[in-house]
Amino acid sequence: MSLRSRISTWWRAVTRHADVDAQVDEELRFHIESYAEDLMRGGVPREKAMRRAKAELGSLAAARERTRQAWGTRGFDELRGDLRYALRMLAKSPGFALIAVGSLALGIGANTAIFSIAKHVLLDRLNVPHPAELRLFEWHSARKSAVHSSWGDWLSTPQQVISTSFSYPVYEVLRKQNHALADLFAFKDLGQLNVTANGEAEVVEGDLVSGNFYEQMEVQPQLGRAIGAADDRVGAPPVAVISDGYWARRFNRSASVIGKTIVVNLVPVTVVGVNPRGFTGASATMTSPELFMPFSVQPLVIPDNTNGPLLTSTKRWWMQIMARVKPGTDAARAQAALNVVLQAAVRSTMPVKKDESVPQLVLMDGSRGMNHMGRHMAQPLWSLMALVGLVLLLACANMANLLLARATARQREMSVRLALGAGRRRILRQVMTESLLLAALGGLAGLGVGWLGRNAILAMLSSPTEPLAVQGGFDWGVFAFAAALSVATGVLFGVAPAWKATRTQVSTTLKESAQTATKRRHGYAGKAIVGFQVALSMLLVVAAGIFLRTLINLDRVDPGFDTKNLVLFDLQPPSSEYTGEKQVQLVQEITERLAAATGVESVAVTSVPPLSDSYDSDDFTPVGAKEDPEKDSAYNAAVGDAYFTTLRIPVVAGRGFAPTDTETSPKVAVVNQALAKEFFPNESAVGKSFRTEDMKSNKLTYQIVGVCADTHYANLREDPPPVFYVDYQQAPGMDWGMTFAVRTRMARAAITPELRRAVEGVDRNLPLTDVRTEQEQIDELTKNERVFADLTSGFGVLALVLASIGIYGIMAYSVSQRTNEIGIRMALGAEPGQVLRMVLGEASWVALIGVVAGLAGALALGRVIASMLYGLKPWDPATLVGSAVLLGLVALGASWIPAQRAAGVEPMRALRHE
Amino acid sequence: MEKNAGIDLLQGTLDMLVLKAVSLGPLHGYGVLLRIQQLSRERLEIQQGSLYPALYRLEHEGWIAGEWGQSENKRRARFYRLTATGRRRLEAETKKWNEFAGVVGAILSTESE
Repeated sequence: MSLRSRISTWWRAVTRHADVDAQVDEELRFHIESYAEDLMRGGVPREKAMRRAKAELGSLAAARERTRQAWGTRGFDELRGDLRYALRMLAKSPGFALIAVGSLALGIGANTAIFSIAKHVLLDRLNVPHPAELRLFEWHSARKSAVHSSWGDWLSTPQQVISTSFSYPVYEVLRKQNHALADLFAFKDLGQLNVTANGEAEVVEGDLVSGNFYEQMEVQPQLGRAIGAADDRVGAPPVAVISDGYWARRFNRSASVIGKTIVVNLVPVTVVGVNPRGFTGASATMTSPELFMPFSVQPLVIPDNTNGPLLTSTKRWWMQIMARVKPGTDAARAQAALNVVLQAAVRSTMPVKKDESVPQLVLMDGSRGMNHMGRHMAQPLWSLMALVGLVLLLACANMANLLLARATARQREMSVRLALGAGRRRILRQVMTESLLLAALGGLAGLGVGWLGRNAILAMLSSPTEPLAVQGGFDWGVFAFAAALSVATGVLFGVAPAWKATRTQVSTTLKESAQTATKRRHGYAGKAIVGFQVALSMLLVVAAGIFLRTLINLDRVDPGFDTKNLVLFDLQPPSSEYTGEKQVQLVQEITERLAAATGVESVAVTSVPPLSDSYDSDDFTPVGAKEDPEKDSAYNAAVGDAYFTTLRIPVVAGRGFAPTDTETSPKVAVVNQALAKEFFPNESAVGKSFRTEDMKSNKLTYQIVGVCADTHYANLREDPPPVFYVDYQQAPGMDWGMTFAVRTRMARAAITPELRRAVEGVDRNLPLTDVRTEQEQIDELTKNERVFADLTSGFGVLALVLASIGIYGIMAYSVSQRTNEIGIRMALGAEPGQVLRMVLGEASWVALIGVVAGLAGALALGRVIASMLYGLKPWDPATLVGSAVLLGLVALGASWIPAQRAAGVEPMRALRHE
Repeated sequence: MEKNAGIDLLQGTLDMLVLKAVSLGPLHGYGVLLRIQQLSRERLEIQQGSLYPALYRLEHEGWIAGEWGQSENKRRARFYRLTATGRRRLEAETKKWNEFAGVVGAILSTESE
């Protein structure tokens, strides 16, 4: 009751200041008049009565003020006064305000940007109700697992295998025998599908989902209906739900999309619904598949003829399972119960050899889907957060320095205030108000900078094939972060000057006439701060240096083939139309047409495009050799005749493929030097044979006819691994489409129509996908390193700018304070050059101490980022020396103007200078 | 009002007197002043300047509530009345004052032996 009235009166006094004042005034007037009337009734003349009534009440203004303050507004009024005063002080020195707010905005903005990216990647959950209930099924097994064939997530470490892929029969058993969790549901990222909609062929990302997917995810389409259990039956008419993004891009948000038929991998599919905006499916939070179809369409849309029907295959593990843990369920017990079911399901559906390990079920947090991004980006993001935190610390140090210098300049003002009776607490509050005001302005501007930065980073991270679907709009989390950061910053840089202000001694400051000729120790705190700034800058510059060198090293890696003038594109002949011989024929025809096209010098075909982060690994056992479990597989690729000549990979022994190698001729292979060295160490590989296995476990034997030079296979970081190449006509199958690499002198954009015409000449319905140059593909591969180098360089430059402001500020201040001393020195015969050297020497000392401290910090922290580097150690001497020299130069440069000013001091004027 | 006839108010007692005054019926600020003087038989001197801050403080605490109304001479005036919490407060204060006055009175009336 009492608290309520206190708050309501306070609120009224604060928000309706004028109303309350008017009310008090009216009451006081009424009082005076009533009193005067009473006096008049007692015979006092009117004039005199009024005067006396007013006099007894005292000053009206003071009475009004005190009355209003009875409603507890004193603190607020003082705050308002402090703020108004602080704003006036800032307006009086716009240069200072600009530098202060600007550097804070950059510091806070950079932090906000990185934080919002980190939040998207590491914290954002799937946009469904109660995402925390979701559990993703994962299994672990020993290195030699009963599961041999998987499509999807597969992490194998020396100790164990971890995967989230299950076979459809196992899923069915798990689902039927699950009593602990809510109904199990499944999904599968299919990757790219050829889709023709509204007469345009394009490539679209698609997912398969189980019939209860929408029901269990608790998501309703914004238009039409969801996929239901009836759609997920064998023989049901194929349907699809499309994403909001695809709806906008392809159908212009027209409601008539419902009921429309689109062609997916040559199969007509009816669109029945549109997902709500922001729903990204179950796999990821930042990207969304554009097409969701029930599992029942799999045999039609992606018939996997090499393995038999996927939905009944017990061998192939390929789909992901999720379920909700309802409140009150013991997740550990549920996991144990389902693990028992899994064990039984594995043993009953597939052969388990004696030495093979049966998968153990683990229920993982599914609130962020499969969380690929989160897992891969966690370490880089934490490193970035740390680095950008240093930038803010630097901005803080700068602010502290600027404010300390100002506090010295304002010592007189403070002592006058103290002399007039202001309490120390009151002064402390005034100074802190100013700091916090600066921080708040900086934070506000920083929020804007952060928003721009976030968008820029997202644009850098996004790739044309998989645009990021991040929700824009206002984010309270980010706002809270920026606000908290601003307050913390304000307190951090405000404490020192506030402390200094309250330490002011009234008598000494007012008496002190700034007429001391000896070197004073006032600049000490300032120099310590500048030293700290130099140390922080050193850290940031070193970080920028090693990440830049990592990128340069990666760019300098010789991939082993000629990456210039190569244009690549993918082709995915639908397996419902092209199988076996027809597939080979198609590739042959397209290759011939392409080779004849204008501007094309030669054409290479491969199942695994080099340097695209794609792998294909198969059994490799030399005929006659003992089976070695450590060395039983190798990377490979199915390529065309002209592969080695087109990519300019030298064949160092034997021969490359020739037109005489056909489907019917003896099976031959080319291996690279790394493979030859590993499997045939002391003999020639040419003429030897090896065995491998196709998807149906049929043994195939190839004879090695040539050895080619090593090339980097999937990426630039790993050394060239052992690789064997087979002719695609003799390969066991081409499930995942082929990549054509065309050697041409024409620009990509210029040659694309030629390529398209050549492919259309063979099949009008085959879209060319992902046309890119080899260089663009490599850039995509090193994208993270590039983003990292860009960001850390940005931080480094920011650090240098902040540090030079700091150094310049402190040296200029110190010179101005020492004008007298310098004047005396020069009057006693010091040369301008000596004075110049003295000032520069002082700056050098500060810089040197900072650089050494920064070096120590860099060496200590280097270990953390070692795994992100390539081709150098975190304590790379060239980078360390380079950074130290750079900082030294910046320190000298920043103190050059103050030093010049010192050297230009005229003794007479300096001695008269107050 | 004869100034020299007045007794200075003890610190903190004004609030109690105001509460007592309005407990007898709603009053405007000037009315409170008159009522207290009348009750004290003109023996108490109240600083008029401190009356209004006291009224507002009591309203802030929720012990009295102010409302605009019409005065006896048909003018707009702000009337204060005692709230339920105010009444409890007045009772507690009265009890405390009586105890205090009793103890102090007893001490002061002790004769030397």
